[in-house]
Amino acid sequence: MRIPEREAASRRLLERLLLFRDALMGSLIIAVTCSILGVYVVLRRIVFVGAALAQLSSAGVALALFLSGATLTQGLGRHPTELALALTLGGVLFLAFESPRSLVPRDAAIGIAYTVAGAAGILLVSKAAVGEAHDILIHGSILGITPGDIRVLLGAALPVLVLQLVFSRQVLFVSFDPETARTLGYRVRLWDLAFFGTLGLAIAASMQYAGVLLVFDYLVVPAVTALLLARTMSGAIALSVLAAVVATIAGFLLSVTYDLPTAPAIASCSGALAIIVWVIRSRWR
Amino acid sequence: MTALFTFEGATLGYGKHVVLRDLSFEIREGDYLGLVGPNGSGKTTVLRAMLGINPPLSGTVRRAAGVRFGYVPQRDQLNQSYPLSVADVVRMGRAPRGLWNRGSREDRAAADRALDQVGLTALAGRRLTNLSGGEKQRMLLARALVSDPTVLVLDEPTNGMDLGATTQILTLVKDLREQRRLTVVFVSHALNEVANAVERIALVVDGRFRLGTIREILTAETLGGMYGITVDVEHIGGRHVVMPHPGGSRFDNADPRTRGGKSAIA
Repeated sequence: MRIPEREAASRRLLERLLLFRDALMGSLIIAVTCSILGVYVVLRRIVFVGAALAQLSSAGVALALFLSGATLTQGLGRHPTELALALTLGGVLFLAFESPRSLVPRDAAIGIAYTVAGAAGILLVSKAAVGEAHDILIHGSILGITPGDIRVLLGAALPVLVLQLVFSRQVLFVSFDPETARTLGYRVRLWDLAFFGTLGLAIAASMQYAGVLLVFDYLVVPAVTALLLARTMSGAIALSVLAAVVATIAGFLLSVTYDLPTAPAIASCSGALAIIVWVIRSRWR
Repeated sequence: MTALFTFEGATLGYGKHVVLRDLSFEIREGDYLGLVGPNGSGKTTVLRAMLGINPPLSGTVRRAAGVRFGYVPQRDQLNQSYPLSVADVVRMGRAPRGLWNRGSREDRAAADRALDQVGLTALAGRRLTNLSGGEKQRMLLARALVSDPTVLVLDEPTNGMDLGATTQILTLVKDLREQRRLTVVFVSHALNEVANAVERIALVVDGRFRLGTIREILTAETLGGMYGITVDVEHIGGRHVVMPHPGGSRFDNADPRTRGGKSAIA
């Protein structure tokens, strides 16, 4: 390709990216929020709690898509984030706290929540009036993000940032060694509730835009990439954010250039980055 | 001496599940108490009641005013995936002083002193994953010392360690107790090890509880009755050795929790 042609192609790419700048901005907010929380999701070994919460949240979005088709419930159908939030926070109360004497083991409860929420979501979208409901559920609708949506996403990101930046000491100790933290006077249940509450909020706010696939990806893959390299907790969080941002921009470029669905393109870039880092880290060890 | 912890008719357990019934005993200031019993016998339940994590199902567990815990959990419970250094973990031990406190110069100095006391200054920057079992245990001890405790509680601190590392930890705990005038509660399933370190022993076996001095507890009758095995006990040169007879165990099909009746205190 000659230089004028290359410049023209770059300009066209930039123009298309600018056309989707709200979508890119929204995706980056979701990426940053979920990748910060993801470090704790991976370290606390609650990846499948994240998956179940994401599935519950998607069932909330599916419920909204279903309700929007019925005359009586059309109003409710216009609030997918609120419905997703209600189901996700319900899931937080049900799944986040392990009771040693519970009749159903926690991993089994997570499995039940994941399966039932997934099934409910599929059933609801199969009867939804919106034609592309199934795609919205799986892939989200990133390209449809508006300035108003960005404000919603920023609103969900704020409590996450406050908790993780201002109260990082408490969040870290309570997740690393809750029993010792309790003996020193930390209110472990309260901090856990704050963590899981912000996790539920971030998932619910992101779900209708990013879909199950990308939200789950942001909660796991950038954090794993970061933990392969990081030597400190703050380093892990910074690298997780960086990995998520790089994957989002790369995925967006791929999506715009080759007309690919955006969420899977981002998730693929995220996975590729993790594999590259893993290979380098394995050789470097 | 002042009683730091007083159990009065305390029944301990979780929900409707009773682990130990009707416990009445005291832990006094300056005590060096071994809480000994097999895995799953109820030691951790007593410990959690003491620490205030699990309140008793009935009766009371009173803690004297001004008690500050230095808790050393089982090191196997540590999640090594966290990218933390020895110094990071030790600094966690400073008790919270206000919601907004993010750690002061004084906190860092206290952590440095604690690291020095357990001989880990040179390893302050080392990652958790690169520590041996003994180093990890000393790190947890340093963390427990950071908040200047009055009571040191160690949960199975020598579990899975070789003889050298075990001796190092026991000597370190003994020295710390003397230097800081600590009350120490040492939880372990290794009776021989604990018997030669502590001053009093609380035996917890199959829901039964018995507390006394070394001489009171380390008898063939008491141990045989509690463990349901035949044992010999020797006291040689100030050291205590408990030797079970080979083939001396007696299995029966009765629920062990109903065998001994109420807890007894020697």
